[in-house]
Amino acid sequence: MPDVIEPDAIEITDINHLNHQRFENWSFSQDFCVTCGLCSSTCPVSGIDNFDPRKFVRMISLGLEEQLVESRWPWICTMCAKCEKVCPMGIEIASLIRGVRSLRDREKVPGILHKGLAAAIKTGNNLGLPQDDFVFIIEDVAEEIAEEPGFEGFTAPIDKKGANLLTTIHNKLVNTHTEDLKHWWRIFHAAKEDWTVPSENWEGTNWGLFTGDDKAMKIMVGRIVENMEKLEIKTLLWPE
Amino acid sequence: MQNFNTVTVFDLLIQYIKEGRIKLDKTKYADVLATYHDPCNYGRKAQKLFGYGYFEEPRWILSQCTDNWTDLYPHSINQLCCGGGGGTLTTGYNDERILYGGRKMDQIKITGAQMIVVPCHSCHGQLNNIKTEYEMEHLEVKYLWELVADCLIL
Repeated sequence: MPDVIEPDAIEITDINHLNHQRFENWSFSQDFCVTCGLCSSTCPVSGIDNFDPRKFVRMISLGLEEQLVESRWPWICTMCAKCEKVCPMGIEIASLIRGVRSLRDREKVPGILHKGLAAAIKTGNNLGLPQDDFVFIIEDVAEEIAEEPGFEGFTAPIDKKGANLLTTIHNKLVNTHTEDLKHWWRIFHAAKEDWTVPSENWEGTNWGLFTGDDKAMKIMVGRIVENMEKLEIKTLLWPE
Repeated sequence: MQNFNTVTVFDLLIQYIKEGRIKLDKTKYADVLATYHDPCNYGRKAQKLFGYGYFEEPRWILSQCTDNWTDLYPHSINQLCCGGGGGTLTTGYNDERILYGGRKMDQIKITGAQMIVVPCHSCHGQLNNIKTEYEMEHLEVKYLWELVADCLIL
């Protein structure tokens, strides 16, 4: 004989709290889901915290906004898009993840993601590194290269107007990984490239991609375009 | 409206090599078995978003630097994520991130490669960060452009 479940042990979901129309204007094809589960089979995160992409997509369709926005699920996903690759219905699952990320209160975005982005919007880079310090680091690393055989006279041109190529810089390369600045610079030297680095708004990362912040992303991209036009550069290299 | 061109890291390196502006020494890493990791954003996601994924280009560049390299399995459009994507290096959910990277480390281990070449800052950071977790301290994690710079003939 089956155990009798005590009524107190059952949690009742008030169906009136569900808003099935909540995501109906999202154009990621989420309502085409046939619940086949291919996405969940290929996902590297399936099983962690009971997450799997199929569940996530179904919850979007059901309009379970609060549960999704408050959960860790959209943040432990790496947005690698294997799920999208195998989805027979062409559902844009990684975009759904990013969409839910965008709904999180900015102060509750995990880790340093939003803090770094906020610093970038305010100062031009994720570190809040002042212009003088940036220029000092660039010149210092350039001097180190100039001491290497074959690189005599090497300099890193800053804000060179009319240069052929401008490169952005990943903030970690002017922070803890300055050695990694040198690879591209050595190649530019060997290729006799006419290149430059901007002294302001050089940040190559754009964490709005991860936090779902389109507005911030546009600001960051706009600043790079501004640098290109102000300095009259022909080619943009954005290695990040 | 747009008054300038944008090049990817691959386009620029290929241009320099094909135009003869840089010359590369293939013997430099001849004794080191290398392999290549396809970043999600340059490959699978670029294929979907822009209709073109960079799969052949990095492999061609790698082949200009060394003959001693092998592909991971699976690779290209079906590659496995390194585990460091989507900002997971910065969310603080490190246990999860390290766990995801285990599959990538297994892939690399099976090839016997001593060097993994990547063209992405996130993948590079992740692989370098987790290699000790998987007893692969000796694995060299190299940017694609770092490999090119190392092989330059001046």
